[in-house]
Amino acid sequence: MAYLAHQQNTRHRLPRRLGRIEYHALMSDSSSRTIPSPLVALAAWLLPGAGYWLLGQRSRALTVGITIIVLFVVGLLIGGVRVIEVPGYGDHGQPLVVTQDEESSYDGRRMVLEHTTEAGSVPPGANTAGWVMQVHPLDEIRNKPWYIAQILNGPINLLASWGSVVASRDNAQGHAIGARSHARTNELGVLYTAVAGMLNLLAIIDSGWRATQHQEEGQ
Amino acid sequence: MSHLLAWTPFLDPIPIWSNAVWPWLLLPLAVAVSVVYKSIKCRTMRQVPGEASVITITIVLGMVAAAVVLAVFVRAMEW
Repeated sequence: MAYLAHQQNTRHRLPRRLGRIEYHALMSDSSSRTIPSPLVALAAWLLPGAGYWLLGQRSRALTVGITIIVLFVVGLLIGGVRVIEVPGYGDHGQPLVVTQDEESSYDGRRMVLEHTTEAGSVPPGANTAGWVMQVHPLDEIRNKPWYIAQILNGPINLLASWGSVVASRDNAQGHAIGARSHARTNELGVLYTAVAGMLNLLAIIDSGWRATQHQEEGQ
Repeated sequence: MSHLLAWTPFLDPIPIWSNAVWPWLLLPLAVAVSVVYKSIKCRTMRQVPGEASVITITIVLGMVAAAVVLAVFVRAMEW
């Protein structure tokens, strides 16, 4: 009885805000910044971890960013920079061009046969339809599907793509500047760089979602 | 060793063809996946080292178990 009386007195004395249940956003950190979620997602793509940094979650930003970048760089070290197979460019670092030949089929109909050739080795007089990324972009990306995951690493992957194209070109001796990896080293290099990109996709989605939660809390 | 001395980082693939070496490359991948996943999932970053360690060990043990099962299966098929 005395306990109940004490409890009632305590309840009356408690400030009102303590009696209310407060729901926090899942996985939220102590930050009050309100930044549009597309901007946060763009920042997260431009530099892994930057989305969290914009939201004021510095330790999360550094952990995620450094881990993803290190994973990507280790992938390039394992397989060489040529593990990045850049759509639109061939094995010798030249742009891929679509050439067209007209032929007659067995029943007399005209057929157009298309071939993809590197720009440096197009036969003279061949009818070129243009760069493969302009003529058949989806087919070319479908031929190099790992690039979809790798591009999620952001501009660091664009830099590596440029390095891959340059390393594929022939030097004065007629050999490629950078060696192409095969078998397990290639698989591991591709796996590391692609997994880094997929992890950055998770970070992009999560930081964008957190930005939305911050906006809702701010309203 | 001579392979490593001739290695040009980023231009050449790392010269690890030995079966005793390349499986160890699973470890950094498992650690990275665990750290990023738990950094996203955990409410506070203080939870991350502990939870990432647990999930790293789980991944590695799972891969070892898968390797053992596959090895036994292959031997059984050969026998």
